[in-house]
Amino acid sequence: MNQPATLHAVTINHRHAPTEIRERAHLDDERAIALMVALAAAEGCVAAIPVSTCNRTEIYVELEPGHEVGPILRAALAEVGADARLFFGEHARQFAGADAIGHLYRVSAGLESMMLGEPQITAQLKDSYRRARAHQEPGPGLLRAFQGAFRAGKRVRTETGISRGAVSVAFAAVELARKFFDYLCDHRAVLVGAGETGGLAARHFLQHNIGQLTVINRSGERAQELAATLLAEREAAATAPRETDKQRFPAAQAECGRVDAKPWESLAESLVTADVVLTTTGATEPVIMPEMVAAAVKRRRGKPLFFLDIAVPRDIHPDVADIDGVFVFGLDDLDEIVQGNLAARRKQLPAAQQIIDEELAAFEQWLGDVDLRPTVAEFKSYLEELKDKQVGFVRRKQSAEVAAEVDRSLQQFIKKVLGRSMTTLKTAESPEERERDLETLRRLFGRD
Amino acid sequence: MTMVLSVANTLLPLLYLLVFGTYLWLFRSDNPTPQRVASRLAVAVVLLHLAAEIARGLAYSRLPMGSKLEFTSALALAILATYLFLERRRRVKNTGWLPTGMAFLLQFIASAFATELPQPSPLLKDPGFAGHAVLVLLAYTALTLSFVYAVLYLLLARQLGRHQFGLFFRRLPSLDVLERMSVGAVELGVPLLFASLVLGHLWMYSLADKLGPAAAAQLSPYDPKILVSWVLLLGYAAGLMGYRFLGWRGRRMNVMAVTAFVLVVMTMGVIRHFVPSFHDFKQLQTERTEPPVRHEVLLAYSPAGEDA
Repeated sequence: MNQPATLHAVTINHRHAPTEIRERAHLDDERAIALMVALAAAEGCVAAIPVSTCNRTEIYVELEPGHEVGPILRAALAEVGADARLFFGEHARQFAGADAIGHLYRVSAGLESMMLGEPQITAQLKDSYRRARAHQEPGPGLLRAFQGAFRAGKRVRTETGISRGAVSVAFAAVELARKFFDYLCDHRAVLVGAGETGGLAARHFLQHNIGQLTVINRSGERAQELAATLLAEREAAATAPRETDKQRFPAAQAECGRVDAKPWESLAESLVTADVVLTTTGATEPVIMPEMVAAAVKRRRGKPLFFLDIAVPRDIHPDVADIDGVFVFGLDDLDEIVQGNLAARRKQLPAAQQIIDEELAAFEQWLGDVDLRPTVAEFKSYLEELKDKQVGFVRRKQSAEVAAEVDRSLQQFIKKVLGRSMTTLKTAESPEERERDLETLRRLFGRD
Repeated sequence: MTMVLSVANTLLPLLYLLVFGTYLWLFRSDNPTPQRVASRLAVAVVLLHLAAEIARGLAYSRLPMGSKLEFTSALALAILATYLFLERRRRVKNTGWLPTGMAFLLQFIASAFATELPQPSPLLKDPGFAGHAVLVLLAYTALTLSFVYAVLYLLLARQLGRHQFGLFFRRLPSLDVLERMSVGAVELGVPLLFASLVLGHLWMYSLADKLGPAAAAQLSPYDPKILVSWVLLLGYAAGLMGYRFLGWRGRRMNVMAVTAFVLVVMTMGVIRHFVPSFHDFKQLQTERTEPPVRHEVLLAYSPAGEDA
């Protein structure tokens, strides 16, 4: 009987391994490729796909039947200079067969991520998969498993709310802004302060295609520097080939993401045209005063003004929040949003697991049919050969149209015969009966 | 046919309730089932209701808006259909619970209090009236949806202002989208209301020529309902101008939209119940001196008929 290959997964991830271990287990591009090559050359190994991110290093291996993953992987890891003991120590976990596939599907869906449902892991898996395909031909099992994982991840994200809502403070800021302005590209943001926190917040707004970002800082020079850095990063990421880099600026649009810097004196005037104001200065006293905002609001004709004060101590005077049409939010609000979203995501876990189970069942069904395929393929090839002969005969006697019609008709016939054969083989009552049926088919129509 | 209409009358509020319930479920949870079925269910209800309206029209050989309740039912249908159009255009499903809820309420009222019209006005068979009535229906549908989205805007703005990140925060689209949907509905409603008023005037003058002098005298362009409609039209148009050219935005703009709609409902209610208006058409009917000699109803009101 033609037995299917077995799939294995070895993982070191944030759940069981501290940062130090994860750092030591990390496989950079070069080492990951070397490991794939070493495993592909190893006896009994069909193919391997290593995945290494900041939170996990995992190696998915497809082995021929009757081989054990331990010795093969140890030898390959040692060959590329990686610490093999880590992958079989107390911080590592091993899965085989359906458990390995289930783990891969859960990883792809973000259920194993530190931030439940985060989407970046799918991009990282896709990068690893492409890298693997560029250097080897993954076995049919791994190929199917990864394709299934991408499908499961997509289904979980679209059919449940597992990825909905920001789960980091920086993304919560963007989410909050998007409750005011859906299409950020039509809107202007002003970043007050050019420090590290400000830069981080600005990056998130640029990732979501804010139309215009103006950096205002007491030191104009630092504002100019930050504006130039942000622009350069945006352009570099937009042309990056890697999925993970592209994801940093998901739908970079030419008309969005303009960045400039203005002097500190223009702050009051900027409030008139701004839609979002991010304040992140290190000032010890508020820099946005009620009079300044009230004057701007008068000229805005009711258009809402959204302030996000992520500075400690606060940059916005508390009385600003009382002005009509002005909304002021701070770090506590962002934290509340994050906690609320995390709780909402956790509620989606059962629905997500159900999708994973469905996809796993589909994979297992595919795996169950693996032994049928070579024999059915031979049968198909035999039938097609007969069809070609028959069509050739008709072509010599009749017109091309008649021959084409016969060809179409026989194709339909073959499809029906093969469909019926597959169904009969699949519904065999025992493995012995199935093997007997296959043997009969091979004897009748096989190539040997 | 009467039985079919009777079944439809009982079934429709239940179907509207089902649609409302599905959209409410969709709003409150991430379950994929309502995401999948809500729009399809709503489309099916629109088609069924449309079929029921056509059946009613055929059964009585007239426009199925012969009474306040028939108009209410048609309004429910128009609100649901227009909402579906907006949903498809804006790809926003989470706001469906409010318009479908309003449509359910209207259909429930229409079905619960439905009675057979003893003698529906023969004017309902006139194409001029039909055009006017359909335009009025569509205009009010648009204004109702504008009200719905303005209410949602104010609810979300209120939550944001109070730093409450609850259900509205998580499930409603942005203030920006809600405002655009509300204004978009007014942009649709204003020309429709204008067209309905113009057509109404033209039809009124053409009708006056066919009525006896006493009945014709009641057809006044200064009828309270017409005057109020013009005032409302100008009010909405001014709001639109402000939005387009003066940059009126935000809470005040949406408070105006809600206030305007409440005024529409209140003034029309007051006029209908307390101010005499030819729009109830009863007096026009009593002016008829002779039974109609031909099936074309308007001939029954012709001066010739009166002389005879």
